[in-house]
This record gives sequence, C-alpha cells and structure tokens, in this order.
Amino acid sequence: MADPKPTDATGADAWYFCLRLLGARYAFEAPLVTEVVRLGPLTRLPAAPAFLPGVFTHRGEVLPVLDIGLLVGHGAVPIRASTRAAIVHCGPWKVAVVTEGVEGLVSIPRRAIEPPPAESSGVAEFLSGVGRDRAGTVAVLDLPRLVETARARAVPAGGPAA
Amino acid sequence: MTEPTSEILLFQVGARVFAAVVHDAVRIGAVRDVSEDDLVLESALGAPFGRERGIVVASHEGATERTLVVDQVVGVRSVPEADVQPLPAFAAACLVSGAVTGLVMLDEAPLLLVDLPTLVRERSLAAPELTA
Repeated sequence: MADPKPTDATGADAWYFCLRLLGARYAFEAPLVTEVVRLGPLTRLPAAPAFLPGVFTHRGEVLPVLDIGLLVGHGAVPIRASTRAAIVHCGPWKVAVVTEGVEGLVSIPRRAIEPPPAESSGVAEFLSGVGRDRAGTVAVLDLPRLVETARARAVPAGGPAA
Repeated sequence: MTEPTSEILLFQVGARVFAAVVHDAVRIGAVRDVSEDDLVLESALGAPFGRERGIVVASHEGATERTLVVDQVVGVRSVPEADVQPLPAFAAACLVSGAVTGLVMLDEAPLLLVDLPTLVRERSLAAPELTA
C-alpha cells in the first residue's frame, strides 16, 4: 500500500484508513495500516477470547484476527470468502482487523473532526473523534488503545498461565 | 543440501488434531493402568471423547510424569522447520493458556503446535481450584 501523506499537525487534512464495521463507517490513522488482504481460512485457538476468532496464514506469516464487533459487545463481523481484513501495526502487536468492507484512504480536515460523544460504552469507548467527508460521517477509532484494551481484557491479571 | 526438519507427533483430542514436538512425549500407551491422579483428562485443548490412549509427558524438570488422555495418536511426521511458525505475539498474549505455541503447516493445513509439558503443568496448577 502506498504511504499516505503524513498527518498534518497544523490543522490541514489528515489521512485516515476507512472501513465499514457494525453497519457504519469507521476510520483510524492511515499509517497504522500496512496491507488489506482477503481473509484466508481461520484456525481457531483453544480457550481464546471471542474477539479473537482465530489466526490465518498470509504469505507464510501467521496473523491473529481481531473482531472489533465482538470486542465492543456487538455481534460478530460475518466471515465469508470475500471478507477482507486490514493488517495493522499497533505498538508491538500486528493484527488483522476483520471488516464488513474497505473504503480505503480518506482525507478529512483536522478542523472537521469533533470530539467523540460522551458515551463510554460499546465502540464509543474507543473513539477519538467524529469527522465528515464527502461520503458522510466517519467515526475515528483510537486503534492502538482498542488493541491494547483487547489484550488486557483477554488476560486481565497475571498474564497467561505460567 | 537437506532442509532442517522437526519431528512432530500428531494426536487427536475431541474432533481436532494437534501437533507436538516428539521429544516432549516420553511414551504412548493405554491409560487403563494409570492412576487417576496422574491422568490429565481435560486441558486447554478440550476433553477427549474417550479415555483409551494417553501420551506420557514429563515435566520440564523431568521430576514428574503425567498422562495426557487423547482420542488417538495419529503418528509422527517430519516437517521442514520453515513450516513451523510461532504463535503471533498478540494471539499469545490473549490466550489464558501458554501451551499453544505455534502452528505447523502439514499438507498445507495448519495444525496447532502444543507444548505438552506446559499443557499438563497448567492442568496440575488448575486442579486444586477445580476440586476446591
């Protein structure tokens, strides 16, 4: 994937990666995304949290799949042969975020991004803002926080069994 | 030049086939003569349908042996080391069990690679809570 323009701290346009999820448009910082892939057959992991439906191999690399719908208490994102996932790097974690559809890069003026709603449940907990572009409203996810929260909720205390 | 290979033991628990490094298994046999206390009937891999066969596993220190009850020992395969992949860091960090350590590509199908000593040790640690 071509590198987007770097985000601009001066208030000009910022680049986001936009996808469809939970029946709506969501976006996150574009540099987090390295690739969009068609999801291969999943290998389920025993005793895994629901939001981790399995792993799959892509070009010889094993990648974990993250279902944001299940993490935030909605239903699972349907996985079909046509399902695509965005491979993202969030700190030390590399995960494939399963989507209902991929729009790609969108440019949103930073000044057009408003604070997220005060609601702190469901996916709203992970929003960093709400913006608008020509296609309509897009909710901006704080993806690194979401991924880190997923990990923390999976193994709340003491880490994996010794 | 010969490609480095790993010897992998294939075994079935419930409906799934898993893989383990061969040298983690001390021996394979029937479980009927094994003391109930030394059996691992249910683990992070689930529960077997029956209790006929077992894989005897030594602890990491080699001090104790326990028998993991399985439905079937499928066999031993030699696989190129390149076909053995570690579990991704995020997946490993999200699993309660540390016994699943990676995947083995076998005939283009991925099988979970299991650390048998860790699997039976986790069960030993969990057992007192279950019986409390």
